[in-house]
Amino acid sequence: MNKRLPISDIWVYLSGDPLFALIITLATYQLGYLLYVRAKRNPLVNPVAISVILTCLAIDVLDMPYEKYFEGAQFVHFLLGTATVALAVPIYHGFKRMQGKIFHIWVALTVGSTVSIASAVAIAKLMGATDNIVGSMYAKSVTAPIAMGIAERLSVSPTLTAVFTVITGMLGAILAPYILNAVKVQQWWIRGTAIGVGAHGLGITRAFSVNEEAGIYASMAMGLNGVISAIGLPIVLTYLRPHLGF
Amino acid sequence: MISGLVQLFLWQGLGELLSKFFLPGIPGPVLGLLLLLAFLCLRGQVDKDLAEVADSFRQHLGLLFVPASVGVLLFLPELKTHALAVSTALVISVILTIAVTAIVLKMFWYFSLKRHKGNALHREQRHE
Repeated sequence: MNKRLPISDIWVYLSGDPLFALIITLATYQLGYLLYVRAKRNPLVNPVAISVILTCLAIDVLDMPYEKYFEGAQFVHFLLGTATVALAVPIYHGFKRMQGKIFHIWVALTVGSTVSIASAVAIAKLMGATDNIVGSMYAKSVTAPIAMGIAERLSVSPTLTAVFTVITGMLGAILAPYILNAVKVQQWWIRGTAIGVGAHGLGITRAFSVNEEAGIYASMAMGLNGVISAIGLPIVLTYLRPHLGF
Repeated sequence: MISGLVQLFLWQGLGELLSKFFLPGIPGPVLGLLLLLAFLCLRGQVDKDLAEVADSFRQHLGLLFVPASVGVLLFLPELKTHALAVSTALVISVILTIAVTAIVLKMFWYFSLKRHKGNALHREQRHE
């Protein structure tokens, strides 16, 4: 008679393999993405949020420690740096279009991200959030791959930063059309730039689906904002930190 | 597609080296981005392979931060206690960011329009 492997042995073997974490991560994202496309790219059906929630549930149910999961999923995580480098391409395409507007856009991005950081940090701090949470508000208005790099350098939690960034992207993509109509801005390039600063990747997808020019400006703004923040934020914070008492 | 990936990895590697030895304040990938941007500006075009890879990265950027975001599990108790503070901060900050960026650009736009009109008027007056 064949000696059959008890199911638990198969399980022990599988869960020890990095492949397992990769499968959960990619499969849940794929599912989220399918739902997102099915929902006509409605920002409420965010593929990243769906994937994160399902993966959390899966590893919680399977009683897999996060460290174990990350051992496998780090192969996906690693590509963040490469994706950051790839942002040069949309920035370059934006550059070609924005002759004469470079200075304006640069000023707008700097002001926009300063407001973003100052308001988020101030509100979180005033409402009594922990230092961990307040610290992770600094980089949340930058696209996640760069935000996490900044977070590591500021020695705040990259995880919370990533989570806040994802939520910011969702909120931004949902709210952007209303906000932009409220401040009466019709020019596509201005709408796109504002969405790129405020709503990251998800906002860009939304912008592309409405108007191509808006999409190009949004991609450019997201990348450029990341670069400006990555260089500026650590410098500004080393001077400000002693005064903020954090 | 492979050649696009290879190019990105090389720029990333160059950026990491630069960050390690000369500019430790700036993350390596950001330096890689700047180097690639400078290269593209000098060259005046993006090759097809690179454009293809860059585009798929942009489209599925979200997938790459799933592993880190799942770490939210470790922070759930902390986030629950401060849920109100976190959500208020995020919502208000998003609204202000988008509104302020748009308003600043709109102001620049109006000023440059005015200046153009002013110049045109000026010229017409001189002609008369």
